[in-house]
Amino acid sequence: MLRTLRINARLFLEGALLSYVALFRWLRPMTYLASKIMMPLASILFFTYLGTYATSAGNASFYVIGNAIQIASVSGIYGVTMSIGGDRWEGTLVYLFGTPANRLAMFVGRAFFHVLDGILGVLIGLGWGVFLLGLDLSQTDFPALLITILATTFSTSGLGLLLGCVSLVSLDTMFVNNLAYFALLIFSGANIPVTTLPGWMAAISWAMPLTRGIAASRGLIAGESLATVAPLIVGEVAVGAVYILLGYVLFRWFEFQARRRGTLEAF
Amino acid sequence: MKAIEVEHLRRVFRTTIGVLRRTVKNVVAVDDISFDVAPGELFGLLGPNGAGKTTTVKMLTTLLIPTGGTARVLGEDVVQRADRLRGRIGFIFGGERGLYWRLNGYDNLRYFASLYHVEPETSKKRIPYLLELVGLTDRAKEKVDGYSRGMKQRLHIARTLLHDPEMLFLDEPTIGLDPVGARELRQVIRGLQAEKKTILLTTHYMFEADALCDRLGVINHGRIIALDTPAGLKRHVLDLSVVEIDVFGMPAEALGRVRALPFVDTVSVENVDQKQVLHVQTPQGSAAVPGLMETLSGLRLGKVVVREPTLEDAYVRLVGGEA
Repeated sequence: MLRTLRINARLFLEGALLSYVALFRWLRPMTYLASKIMMPLASILFFTYLGTYATSAGNASFYVIGNAIQIASVSGIYGVTMSIGGDRWEGTLVYLFGTPANRLAMFVGRAFFHVLDGILGVLIGLGWGVFLLGLDLSQTDFPALLITILATTFSTSGLGLLLGCVSLVSLDTMFVNNLAYFALLIFSGANIPVTTLPGWMAAISWAMPLTRGIAASRGLIAGESLATVAPLIVGEVAVGAVYILLGYVLFRWFEFQARRRGTLEAF
Repeated sequence: MKAIEVEHLRRVFRTTIGVLRRTVKNVVAVDDISFDVAPGELFGLLGPNGAGKTTTVKMLTTLLIPTGGTARVLGEDVVQRADRLRGRIGFIFGGERGLYWRLNGYDNLRYFASLYHVEPETSKKRIPYLLELVGLTDRAKEKVDGYSRGMKQRLHIARTLLHDPEMLFLDEPTIGLDPVGARELRQVIRGLQAEKKTILLTTHYMFEADALCDRLGVINHGRIIALDTPAGLKRHVLDLSVVEIDVFGMPAEALGRVRALPFVDTVSVENVDQKQVLHVQTPQGSAAVPGLMETLSGLRLGKVVVREPTLEDAYVRLVGGEA
């Protein structure tokens, strides 16, 4: 029992680290850092200026916070999906499925470093908001905000794991990723208050990751306590867990179908 | 106990054609094959492209569920006990894919070691040993992206040996390698043979099968059509000689005329640069040459050689010139 736990913990961490390195090693450190620093800047400036132009300058913090937290979805969706879909392109799936490795540890491990990566992206985004757009963090409970960011990157990575499995069977990974990313832009409340959405769209919003995380972050930055936003954080984690579960079930189904139908190398 | 026991194994692939009016087509890839392999044996599976070799290997390595029949590897059923079996076998499929190209060779092995539950203390010793075995020690810290095809194949061999498997499946491991790379890989396989590993090898190269395998199964159209030692298979053509004729531009009807000759047993054509080499198996030996020359008159011919048959000739005869 203890040995099994140790083996799976090692697989989780090794897989997490090496799949992350395998994904980003092609980037030079400067290119990687630029993408980590410049992309959040461009994203926040674009949506904040667009939002304040359309509404009023007083709403800047609404857009800055929403779009800073939204950055979590870049690592969560694109990073995790590429990490899983990469096995399809590299032809390694057949070798992975031929090992006795615990599939859950192998699968979930792929998201681990992207969660950390997502946290970094969100913090950089908030940093840009403070320095360039006057975001006021004086009322913020920072540990609570960090927990919220962690929960949000966890949930978006959960969606990424599900989409990664979809990428194993779909022909156009980027189409699926872009669709999910832009759906989050609409539904997450980053740019459009969920309360203004029609009922069916609001229902979708609350079924997606990010929505509760963004709402909790706005509350914390406005001075609310951890206890007040705790239900939102718990909800965000639960949404992420549901997506991870769905992704894992899809992953196992894909493995079984590939063995049954002989499609393991068909993609 | 046998290392491999295959009984009436069958695999049918179902494919659909068309979008609106779908036509279902069943393709029989492996058709009721039975064979076994003894522990420590190096068993070769020979056959032309699409004969069912890779499908067989995939079923034996748990990657494909058979449509019918049973297969046990190391006593474990490949379907019912797939999870237990995976840690006891290793496999590679020919080609360059299946490695993380953006990682270096060492990290590739490190990751697969954890997938195969190799303890960290063991893998710290095992990985350098395997890198040395396959001649990649000096390049271990370089990204696989920069490896030659032969180096990638050797890294695959190291990968498959990480957990010291009892049984190895090598599916065309030397395909696409240059002669030096292929020879180096065969040396590695010989070393594994000396360690008494049970190996199932599929290959297109007859000299490779002849040199390495204890026993061979010839598979064609999903069926095993011969099962013997290399020497035993060669006995299929002991009564024949082979006439090799270089032809520069071989029309199909001329090939048909040669095949129709009463003293010709089997004919195969090999394209070599600008010419085609006609391999004619005949019981008449050099006495068949004048008749062949007459049949090919009008064509530009080169060298003509009469030689003793090889394992390749036995194989060509068995698969009916499809090699």
